Amino acid sequence: MQRPDWAPETIDVERPSVARMYDYYLGGSHNFAVDRAAAQAMVAAVPEAPLMAQANRAFLRRAVQYLTAAGIRQFLDIGSGIPTVGNVHEIAQRHAPDSRVVYVDVDPVAVAHSREILAGNDSATVVQEDLRHPERILAHPDVRAMIDFDQPVAVLVVAVLHFVPDDDRPAEVLRALRAALAPGSYLVLSQASDDGRDEAERAEAEQVYRRTDSPLWVRSRAELTGFFDGFELIEPGVVWVPQWRPETPESAEDAERAVFLGGVGRLGG
Amino acid sequence: MGESPEAASGGAFARAWAKALWGTSYLPMTQAQLEGLLQRLTDLLAQTLRTEPLDLRVGHRVATELVAAHIASAEALGRTLEVIQLRLIRDLDLAGDDVSDRMARLLAAVATGYARALRDRTLDEQESIRRAAMTARAEAELALRASEARFRHQATHDPLTDLPNRTLFAERLAAAVDAAAGGGRRVGLCFLDLDRFKRINDSYGHQIGDRALVAAARRLSRAVEPHLVARLGGDAFVILVERSTGTGDVVAVAEAALAALAEPVLVDGHDVTITGSVGIVERRAADSSPDDLMRAAGSTLNWAKTAGGARWALYDAERDDQEQARQALSAAIPTGLERGEFFLDYQPLASLHDGSLLGVEALVRWRHPQLGVLRPDTFIGLAEETGLIVPLGGWVLAEACREAVGWTAATTRPPYVSVNLAVRQVRRPGLVQEVRALLRRTGLPPDRLQLEITESTMMSGAEEPVRALRTLADLGVRIAIDDFGTGYSNLAYLRDLPVTELKVAGEFVRGLRAPEAADERILASLVSLAHALNLTVTAEGVETGGQADRLRAIGCDAGQGWHFGRPAPAENILARVKEGAPC
Repeated sequence: MQRPDWAPETIDVERPSVARMYDYYLGGSHNFAVDRAAAQAMVAAVPEAPLMAQANRAFLRRAVQYLTAAGIRQFLDIGSGIPTVGNVHEIAQRHAPDSRVVYVDVDPVAVAHSREILAGNDSATVVQEDLRHPERILAHPDVRAMIDFDQPVAVLVVAVLHFVPDDDRPAEVLRALRAALAPGSYLVLSQASDDGRDEAERAEAEQVYRRTDSPLWVRSRAELTGFFDGFELIEPGVVWVPQWRPETPESAEDAERAVFLGGVGRLGG
Repeated sequence: MGESPEAASGGAFARAWAKALWGTSYLPMTQAQLEGLLQRLTDLLAQTLRTEPLDLRVGHRVATELVAAHIASAEALGRTLEVIQLRLIRDLDLAGDDVSDRMARLLAAVATGYARALRDRTLDEQESIRRAAMTARAEAELALRASEARFRHQATHDPLTDLPNRTLFAERLAAAVDAAAGGGRRVGLCFLDLDRFKRINDSYGHQIGDRALVAAARRLSRAVEPHLVARLGGDAFVILVERSTGTGDVVAVAEAALAALAEPVLVDGHDVTITGSVGIVERRAADSSPDDLMRAAGSTLNWAKTAGGARWALYDAERDDQEQARQALSAAIPTGLERGEFFLDYQPLASLHDGSLLGVEALVRWRHPQLGVLRPDTFIGLAEETGLIVPLGGWVLAEACREAVGWTAATTRPPYVSVNLAVRQVRRPGLVQEVRALLRRTGLPPDRLQLEITESTMMSGAEEPVRALRTLADLGVRIAIDDFGTGYSNLAYLRDLPVTELKVAGEFVRGLRAPEAADERILASLVSLAHALNLTVTAEGVETGGQADRLRAIGCDAGQGWHFGRPAPAENILARVKEGAPC
């Protein structure tokens, strides 16, 4: 009997999960030995890995603060991972309690964990879906229940595009998401880049992530900028994440060590 | 409002502390929020150091707050202890004899509290991720089971009506037969299909047809609960009656099913009337297999349908055996033709005037490899039903022509050969070409071929067969009406058709035993009618000299029957002609 395509996969916690590895980089303990082993291998290959995660997380925080200040009250965080410290709903709801947040992740453990954390929060929810199927995300009843697509929405695709190879047409995915958004909506992107990095280092990092279900696919600044097609980039554009609207000038020092490029775009009209 | 010197110096310390913590781990707050938190903790520490007795719980509290604020890494603890040790006393200008002593104890309390809080946090997080993994796994398994159940349902149910499908039915039937066989119990099947359902699709469209099917399915399953109703496809359903106590049980189920269908179905404002037919089989499970049961129910269903539908029929083994034998025989005809198992005998048609041989009627025989030589009445009917009469009749016609040509050498007055044509052969386009080609190929003169058709051949009133026969008659081929007087006997076609001869059915001849019987008067009238129309009359079934005499007296032209000779191979008949023996 062949399993039909809608049958779910089983949970394999014997494989490292990129969501739990990210949690480990951020100093969390929401991870298993297999995740820690992979993360440690990554740190051996790229010693800045924890720093990268921290810088990216800080970028997410600043971006959400910026969007909240810009009046955005709806957030769709795709590839949200393990809801470690500094979640979008914590940041957004601290600044604007009426903010509504939908987390989307493909990792069932991350989703189960998010569900536990969000229990009792009527303004935030989580759905299990793959970034590569934007139409399913947009049509998901839980997404529809939480987000009014006639109003501006911030779509966050933070530290996840580097798990979407070109074969999976990330530009089309983003275009499909864009098509669903009302004018005044925002797109927040960040992803690992190989700009200015050592070839050997990149190869070693890719080797580590090949152990996971989500191989690494680094991109250049030009490629990431291309993903903002249809959006107006907010100053300062696509930059190393520590350089994106830093709180103190010092925090933007050595920015390229962060490996992550990021930016925020606004849908005009 | 100016800051107090104490607060100002505390501010410098808090900033230094914040700087020391920078980068130790991800801090989910702004620089200002971090400094604000550390300022509060600094004040707490300072106040404690100044207060007697030293309250070590404050050290624990500071540590707990740090960890709670996600300042929770080994590095953060190290830097915190370092910056407090190095700067707090100096920055806050704390003095006293025992201040370093108090500081050491307070730092120990901070370190202890931090380690505890960090350990608790780690354990909590580990527990929470494990719980999440377990939940996810349980959900996945649940979903997998649900999807397996869904898949199983899809694989075993008909998508239109959601009734069990053939697969599930086969499983259930096999299980039922197995279970019942041991205990000597009985099972029953009702094989049901909807009468002329195609017509509903044709007149209302398939969408309405489908809805009517759904409605019928729902009614059926409700009407025969708790028996299993499956849809085998199309408009065919089957009901499994387990633990039957006898035929009556299953007949009751069939009647309930038919009654449930009888009410018109309202589909989209159309009153759709559906009737069904049911074939019922009921027997001891041990005496049958699922395949047997299904086959028997299927045949029985056909009986119900042939009988006009809207009824049930009960399986009858004898009838089924006969039908199966017939079917087997019919299926063997094409092979028999290929293998040359058919052959012809000929029966003389003799002149009643001088006893001479006028013609012979070709009669087909089948030398069946298992059943021996079969007479036409055992297989011609079958061949007519199945349409195999066309190739078989074609073979007879060709073979008769081929053999008849050879008779020219044997006798100076070779007899014509009379061949029966079935309705289908006459109605088939191409008959004229077929006969013409045969005559050309064999060289048989057309007037030595007689085609016998039955009255029913002409009953359709179609013009094409009449035209074909006329063309053949024009060629010189003789046309005879077989079994005249037993069928429709419409005299009109005698006017339209190029008929040469009437063959009067044997039953009139049999009645000739009694003098002045009605049959004789009928025959006499037929003969005078025929002669008035310039037709000759051949009487069939002439068995005695007496009958021959009467027929001669009436004026009948020719006779056929045992009295003149039984069917025999051509050479036997020709031999008698040569010997000069009267027919």
